[in-house]
Amino acid sequence: MSRARVRLLQALSIAVLLVGWEGIARGGWVDPLFVPAPSAVVRAFGRIGAPALAGLGDTLVKTAIAYVLSVVLGVAGGILIGSVQAVRQAVNPFVIALYGMPKILVLPWIVLLLGFGSAPAVVYGTIHGLFPILVLVTGAVRDVDRGLLTVARAFGARRWQLYWKVVLPAIVPTVLAGMRLGVVFCLLGVLIVEMFAGVRGMGYVMSSLANGFQAPELFAATALVSTASIVIVVSLDALNERLSHWRGDVR
Amino acid sequence: MTVAVIRAGLLLAVLAAWEIAGRLGNPLLYVPPSAAVPALVRLLGLQSYPDLGEHLLLTLREIVAAYGLAVVAGVACGFALGSSRLLGRAYGPLLAALYAVPAVVWYPSLMLFFGLDAASKIAFGFLLGFFPITLAVLAGIRQVNPQLVTVARAFGASRATVFRTVMLPSMLFTLVGGLRTGLALSVIGVIVGEVLGSKAGMGSLLNHAYGLFRTADYVALVLVTLVLIVGSDAAASVLEHRARRWTE
Repeated sequence: MSRARVRLLQALSIAVLLVGWEGIARGGWVDPLFVPAPSAVVRAFGRIGAPALAGLGDTLVKTAIAYVLSVVLGVAGGILIGSVQAVRQAVNPFVIALYGMPKILVLPWIVLLLGFGSAPAVVYGTIHGLFPILVLVTGAVRDVDRGLLTVARAFGARRWQLYWKVVLPAIVPTVLAGMRLGVVFCLLGVLIVEMFAGVRGMGYVMSSLANGFQAPELFAATALVSTASIVIVVSLDALNERLSHWRGDVR
Repeated sequence: MTVAVIRAGLLLAVLAAWEIAGRLGNPLLYVPPSAAVPALVRLLGLQSYPDLGEHLLLTLREIVAAYGLAVVAGVACGFALGSSRLLGRAYGPLLAALYAVPAVVWYPSLMLFFGLDAASKIAFGFLLGFFPITLAVLAGIRQVNPQLVTVARAFGASRATVFRTVMLPSMLFTLVGGLRTGLALSVIGVIVGEVLGSKAGMGSLLNHAYGLFRTADYVALVLVTLVLIVGSDAAASVLEHRARRWTE
């Protein structure tokens, strides 16, 4: 099975999908009010380009802030909960329960509390991104090789050296996996708030296009956000891959 | 024992802090537990929202429809992609790429297409549940030892027998895990859809209470919705344990 055949099939399927869709839309089989042809979507890019890019930039800035907060709080909290057994036993069930709870239920309350600006989007995005990272890092810190810690201690390592030289390097792969997972959740949280209560940002752009029945523009905006999200995830994956070589993992 | 005491103490401390903060803060924004409980009683007594039953039933129906469609389509799609190496290698990465997009980006299009009624919520719940189920079926098929299948076929077992006695037991664990994740996501999809825009269902009640600053009623509605969500996941977890015991 050659790689080329797989690529060919992928490209061919997407082409067939687009051409078929165009044909169906042009043939009048579907209402263009709801399902615009791909060519109409491409033309719509030109019309919404500037405001959509501004909205996307706004969304990505909020996502970036939420993401940094999620990673910092998640890693710090995970190290704390994971390395102190008493804290872990007391707090972990609550963390797991909060992780599993659908955050949509607290969304109206967060908006009520923080108003209609950027703050609820950042907070809600952070809540979404924080928990997967926190849970993963907690587990990784708990499972750090006891032998390494004992040896380091026997050689007179201080507490900060234990964390800096043993625990931190050991959890790097998990932190990276959490970062890969967290970014999509952060973006999800920010977009939901923008759709629910936004006055700016891509989520708001999309929901107002939907309310205005501007299907080609809406499809173009959807394609734009999806592409941005895929690019972010793929580049994080690539970074992960390079760092795993640097760590000297054997695959 | 001591751990349980610490946990209970922690829970009580959080509730107490919530109570104090709620009493000190703006009653439109903060609801102490002492106010949430009467609101819950009023809600369950059908005083604050007399048509609570209808909304709850509608949300349940949407969940059942969305999840049913997701299971059928997800299992069918997973097996179709898993049956051929070429198909799996070509479409698997495409599916994974779509999975990397926050699903809520599709919701405005679904709302435009299906309208504000139940259909758009069912479509969104379906979409969220579909991906984990398809990916779980694909992963499960990969776990099946191809030699066992070849040997069973060589000894004259029919395709159906091979599926039932060789493939299903080795992939069941992954499959059931995917089905459980799919249910959780279908439920969330339906509720997210309702909160983002609807005329009926639990999400619309949440929005109504929020919009009118009836914060105590809102908290009570959250608790009722939470029971619905946790209940559905608990049912799924019972099935998961059954399946695990069956394979072991």
